[in-house]
Amino acid sequence: MSAWDTRRIRKNQRLARAASYVRSGVFESGDAVAVLESVLEPGDRVCVEGNNQKQADLLSRALASVDPERVHDLHLLISVLGRPEHIELFERGIASQVDFSFSGPQSLRLAQQVADGRVRIGAIHTYLELFARYFVDLTPDIALVAADEADASGNLYTGANTEETPTIVEATAFRNGVVIAQVNRIVDRVTRVDVPGDWVDLVVVADRPYEIEPLFTRDPEQIDDVQILMAMMVVRGIYERHRVRTLNHGIGFDTAAIELILPTYGERLGLRGEICTNWVLNPHPTLIPAIESGWVQSVHSFGGELGMERYVAARPDVFFTGRDGSLRSNRALSQNAGMYATDLFIGSTLQMDPDANSSTATLGRIAGFGGAPNLGNDPRGRRHPSQAWLEMTSSTHEIRRGRKIVVQLVETFRESGVPTFVEHLDAVALGRMAGFPIAPVMIYGDDVTHVVTEEGIAYLYKARDVDERRAALAAIAGVTPVGLLADSTRTQELRRDGVVAFPEDLGVVRGEAKRSLLAARSIRDLVTWSGGLYEPPKRFRSW
Amino acid sequence: MIETLTFTYPASAHVARRAHVGVVASGNCELLLEPSPEPSASVTVRTSVGGYATTWEAVLARFFARHSIAVRLEIDDFGATPAVVAMRLEQALEQAR
Amino acid sequence: MTPHIGDSYAERNARERARTLLDPGTFRELLDPFARMRSPYLAAQGVVSQSDDGVVVARGTLGGVRACVAATDGRFLGGAIGEIGGAKIAASLELARRDAERGTPTRVVLAFDSGGIRLQEANLGLLAIAEICDAVAALRTHQPVVAVIAGRVGVYGGMSIVTALCNEVIVTEGARVGLNGPDVVETEAGADEFDASNRPLVWKVTGGRRRFAQGHATALVADDMPDIRAAVEDAFVRNRPFVAIERPEFPDPGLEREAFLRAYGITP
Repeated sequence: MSAWDTRRIRKNQRLARAASYVRSGVFESGDAVAVLESVLEPGDRVCVEGNNQKQADLLSRALASVDPERVHDLHLLISVLGRPEHIELFERGIASQVDFSFSGPQSLRLAQQVADGRVRIGAIHTYLELFARYFVDLTPDIALVAADEADASGNLYTGANTEETPTIVEATAFRNGVVIAQVNRIVDRVTRVDVPGDWVDLVVVADRPYEIEPLFTRDPEQIDDVQILMAMMVVRGIYERHRVRTLNHGIGFDTAAIELILPTYGERLGLRGEICTNWVLNPHPTLIPAIESGWVQSVHSFGGELGMERYVAARPDVFFTGRDGSLRSNRALSQNAGMYATDLFIGSTLQMDPDANSSTATLGRIAGFGGAPNLGNDPRGRRHPSQAWLEMTSSTHEIRRGRKIVVQLVETFRESGVPTFVEHLDAVALGRMAGFPIAPVMIYGDDVTHVVTEEGIAYLYKARDVDERRAALAAIAGVTPVGLLADSTRTQELRRDGVVAFPEDLGVVRGEAKRSLLAARSIRDLVTWSGGLYEPPKRFRSW
Repeated sequence: MIETLTFTYPASAHVARRAHVGVVASGNCELLLEPSPEPSASVTVRTSVGGYATTWEAVLARFFARHSIAVRLEIDDFGATPAVVAMRLEQALEQAR
Repeated sequence: MTPHIGDSYAERNARERARTLLDPGTFRELLDPFARMRSPYLAAQGVVSQSDDGVVVARGTLGGVRACVAATDGRFLGGAIGEIGGAKIAASLELARRDAERGTPTRVVLAFDSGGIRLQEANLGLLAIAEICDAVAALRTHQPVVAVIAGRVGVYGGMSIVTALCNEVIVTEGARVGLNGPDVVETEAGADEFDASNRPLVWKVTGGRRRFAQGHATALVADDMPDIRAAVEDAFVRNRPFVAIERPEFPDPGLEREAFLRAYGITP
């Protein structure tokens, strides 16, 4: 007669093995390696909190130091494979399989590990998809997470940088996995309960606060006039035209330029209150002027942003904040909000093919996707209408649906002088070489409704067929090989039909695309706009 | 080393004055534009990023096809992308009108 | 509510800084870009030259009085001084001195954003700085020589020495005045001694506020053109003769490093 509670039994055995190191649910940082060696079993699925921002780096370093004789062939589950010790797990034979979303800084080394046969990639996911699988076929046996505070009952405070901690912990805890949290400090009473103590098994106080990077800060001093021209086109040709109220901005200098011209250019167009009212994005410092000028009704965030803590806490009408006053972020819920509850996604990319498929994949690296595929797709499950969503279809059929506005914002050439528009994405060759069943495409062309370059806007959603789509894209592809194939007569027709618009067609004057159009032109200006509440990290200081 | 490229296009439209835009900074370029008595646009490009002659030709040909102005144009380039070059050309034209 | 964001000097290029420092409509550039006074040395080293060699010299009036502004472009090779640019600055100072000796004083403003000597021109840059220092020293006895250091590069190397020779130095909080660049200090002394990536520390040691507190700068103003123009006008009206900075009391070099820094009001 087989047992039905094997997972629970195993969990108790794991905790029993570690018991000698644990007092009242807490163990010393010096015992982290020993605890992991006791709790883990070969072949375990281990979810390590390598988030986009927050890193459980004490626990990941300890994991990379376990004895591979005792702990091996782990299946690593991780949002962002970004730290050197994550790669050491494969090098040392501690982990042999990985499912993840993004690998950024370690993309080259990951590719090398795969080539050397030291790790097998299950799949590369978009964030929300990875979290979804934690509840289906990739439930973690062990979760290693990071928090700011824990109390004696194991309640965790994760504050502004809550990110995906509650999601990871819920999946693990409620199927009898073991949840281990590193915290910056143990307190009598947590600032607020972000993760209930019932869900947490073991806590360790880290020797230093968990690592976190300011990934969503862009210095306005770096924004140039080309980016401002493109920002003006987006505001005039997309946001104003389609009355976009709910949106998500991917991070970049070009989207930062859009945020910074709302209080100036947007104001001049009389658009405050009409567009860009409800946002899904991290607390971008470059959004401060728009918030202060009354453009923004609400912001929900995937995570926090270093330096924005006091500003966010002082704007509880706008941001999601707890009773303690600080930001509550949640990557899973925010990704969901970005998917279903926004009319528009806008982001940038490195390469695009003639069908508007795009990818950031480069040969020799396995970088992954992050959140873009989830946000940059048309969710066909959406049912609630909005003006912007309905405008994307011209169908009058009794059965019809709208479409999410998915905008790709790119210059025709990258800084290195390499064209953005290519006949075939590097991702295709990369996928083949790495043995992936499908090429790692970030955003599929058939989800893209608009492409914006310095030359103009291609309203792809208006194209009648594939041929017209390709012609529209080529019309704004400048002097790239793809762009040079554009037929000028065809382009004029497309402009007449409103499938393509050059700046002058939108009433956008190139000569006005100046830095003086930015509401803030330096980090210092952002501090001034925030009334001194924004505290830029050291690397962004120039005074 | 510095690559020097020259281009000539037939042109007839006149500009009122000379123009100077840009700066020789990384990713940027400086333009000196002067009205020419000849019925042509003659361009000299000096760049520290070699190997992009065809791209320069394509950008300049497009611009002068759209604005057939009789000018002498010098470009000092430090790795500007076609987007930046196109912007500077438009800015110079605006100044020259 | 739109806060007061100043009409930024730092945002402007050298030409616009010179134009805006001078009385409206009086700006007249000497040896403008179309004179094509380029460096003869850069091309051979694979570096593209700029038509004004990164220096703008312009005449006009300041508060109605004959004036000359020499401004360096911090975006061209970090504003570093070569033979041509250096000659432009030295010559404008020389002309002003001649005017002063003939009884027609010219107000001179040095609007510098410069990393110092251009390495590609080495000794010629050094020579240029020497000539400029000589010219400032000669001119400042007749009338104030006013430096405005308010850009994103600041002044380093030989150009910080030129600045120190001026009667009046107007700075903003974002300005920097230092001899060796932060990276050079870190390389020489080690990151423990001076972490160049610690930007607040760099400004704490060489920034406008500190320089004003030390007496190396004579006015600290907001990055706002009206404030800067007012400070420049005030500097000339005050007509302060040049006085050497009073020697600060140097703490005993045998002191512990922390105590040494604290003596300068720097929290390590």
